[in-house]
Amino acid sequence: MVAILQKYIDQFIDLPAEELEALINSIEVRSVDKKVRLTDMNETEKYLYFVIKGLARKFFYKGKEEVITQIAKEGELISSSVSYFSGMPSGYVIETIEPTTFYSLHKDKAEQLYNRYPKLERLSRLVITELFLQKEVWELERIRYNTKERFLRFMTDNPELFQRVPQKYLASYLNIKPETFSRLKHLLQKKNSDAPYLK
Amino acid sequence: MGEKNIVARECYEQLLAHLQRFSDINREAFEQLIPYLEIRRFDKRKTLVGQGEIDDYLNIVIKGLVRKYIHSEKGEITLQLATEGHFIQSEISFHHREPSQVIVEAIEPTIVVSIRYDHMQDAFNKIPGAETLGQSIVMQMFIKKDARYFDQLKKTTRERFLEYIDNHPHMLQRVPQKILASYLNIKPETFSRLKHLLQKR
Repeated sequence: MVAILQKYIDQFIDLPAEELEALINSIEVRSVDKKVRLTDMNETEKYLYFVIKGLARKFFYKGKEEVITQIAKEGELISSSVSYFSGMPSGYVIETIEPTTFYSLHKDKAEQLYNRYPKLERLSRLVITELFLQKEVWELERIRYNTKERFLRFMTDNPELFQRVPQKYLASYLNIKPETFSRLKHLLQKKNSDAPYLK
Repeated sequence: MGEKNIVARECYEQLLAHLQRFSDINREAFEQLIPYLEIRRFDKRKTLVGQGEIDDYLNIVIKGLVRKYIHSEKGEITLQLATEGHFIQSEISFHHREPSQVIVEAIEPTIVVSIRYDHMQDAFNKIPGAETLGQSIVMQMFIKKDARYFDQLKKTTRERFLEYIDNHPHMLQRVPQKILASYLNIKPETFSRLKHLLQKR
């Protein structure tokens, strides 16, 4: 289980063994069922969640509609990050899609670590920067690419999620109407009959 | 001390005031940071970052007005308008060191204080407290991005327009209408109609 976290950290920083150990000792392992809400609207986010096994999503409400901004799979981080880092009430809900096991890091524990370990403080800055950039990527994708392009880009990058994530969630994440999503799926099936995830 | 230095000093004093609004940086740490900074001036309509360029700078506006926009099938879409005290850059390009999708351009003659990517990395290694400040700056940009996004989604066109003009009354004069309409995600015709509404109020 540590290996998957190590791999995530390696993309940002070369963390000394001592600091990795300190981080792991501060982490809680949490396993929850599917459709469990970890963070609700207007709560203050206290945790960063790192997915070990399972799937979780992040969404907000536009009226009654749920708009999904992130689907996190194994090896990815999910949190109501602005709330976590700023202490402001969460504008998002974090909820599991599958039964999921997380490494979770409480904000108080994290701050103790940053005071003692400079590389962990740097990691924290790099992680928040990455979460910030992900939001920008998500917004630019919606502007730059049309519905069909967004669909194809996502399916090429995340073929395994096609099987695991309910279609209405994928449609919401990609900002595609459910009817259009079905139509695009059929189109793809005809054009790429050898695509393994569509068989 | 020449006039140029005095002007620079004024820019840095304003920068410190802006930073202290959301971080607890003290003067001593700030003075250590100054050698890593640059003051850059841009004429109206000059680009800070062009499409396809790698953005080397994080900028904060000291005087003037800068916009960030992207070309789309529907024309130019304005993503950000930055005035005094606001950070602006092509953030994905800057952090990932990749060609920029967006264009950053001065709308008015503008002065920014900037830190170059490599100087920033140096500062992180050499100045105590730089990490904390760096994190606060990203956080500040993140909060603004999220807030703007929620505004666009949750408010009606009319609410968006009126709230924005109430909070930024000078922007109607400073920003071409077409750009402001794009930024607020309002059709130009609707924008004109809403402006008339404002006159009646």
